Amino acid sequence: MKKKKVFNLAKGFRGRAKNCIRIARERVEKAQQYSYRDRRNKKRDMQSLWIQRINAGTRFHSVNYGNFMHGLMKENIQLNWKVLSELSMHEPLSFKALVDISRNAFLGNKNVVHPPRKVSIPVSV
Amino acid sequence: MASQAASSFNGNVKKALAGLRRINLEGLRWRVFDAKGQVLGRLASQISTVIQGKDKPTYTPNRDDGDMCVVINAKDICVTGRKLTDKVYTGHLKERTLKDQMAKDPTEVIRKAVLRMLPRNKLRAERDRKLRIFAGGEHPFGDRPVEPYEMPPRQVREMRPRARRALIRAQKKAEQQQQGGNDAKKGKKREQTAEVAA
Repeated sequence: MKKKKVFNLAKGFRGRAKNCIRIARERVEKAQQYSYRDRRNKKRDMQSLWIQRINAGTRFHSVNYGNFMHGLMKENIQLNWKVLSELSMHEPLSFKALVDISRNAFLGNKNVVHPPRKVSIPVSV
Repeated sequence: MASQAASSFNGNVKKALAGLRRINLEGLRWRVFDAKGQVLGRLASQISTVIQGKDKPTYTPNRDDGDMCVVINAKDICVTGRKLTDKVYTGHLKERTLKDQMAKDPTEVIRKAVLRMLPRNKLRAERDRKLRIFAGGEHPFGDRPVEPYEMPPRQVREMRPRARRALIRAQKKAEQQQQGGNDAKKGKKREQTAEVAA
């Protein structure tokens, strides 16, 4: 029964879209379209989020994201963005080691960003 | 919160502490920005980065994790160019220049600047609550662990030729006035004020 499938997929929708077949069918179709599109968008969004996190982590050590990645590429370190962002969140000391490697590799890195303020390392959740 | 004990702060303590209970304060740092001599927009940009939590590697876009920001000396904020007279804050059929706004409420200037730099989403109101601005140099949060924020060094560009020539002319004029008007002008002025007083 196609109707049954539609109502199963329409769980949690607002108003009549979860109860009345005519409306539910439209909304479910739209939901599936969004889902198709967002399976591809999710990869982009996650990459963007990892880059923001890496940027925050490296700026704490007075290096910005671009120069950091350039240094890593020069040293042929092939860690991917996901792993780098995880390191910056949960392994601050290892991340600092990576930042130092990048800083030594690429000499434009000294004092790219202003020196870090004397604060504690942010608490990772 | 016993911050009334540490109040050498003459101002609205109630207003400063307003809404603090709504914010989940665990693990958040209290950063103090000194606005003295800072350029308005550049300071606001740094504040907005900190308030969003974008300087932490645990940044998550759907959750507000920014630090509490306290801004002091809001009345000593600087702007370049002719913005003091030309920058206009518009309301509904009403306008107010920067100068008037600073006279009326200097904290609003920074608040508007920062608020307009935050992304327009559902977290904006919460982030507004995390921002505390004070016109003077005191803040009632002295009993908490506050950390001063170091602004990045600023690259000031060279003066444009016309502005530089105007500056040189103004300097020369000031020198001339000092040398020439030392005896004559000041003598006359003193006589006039003496007459008015007597």
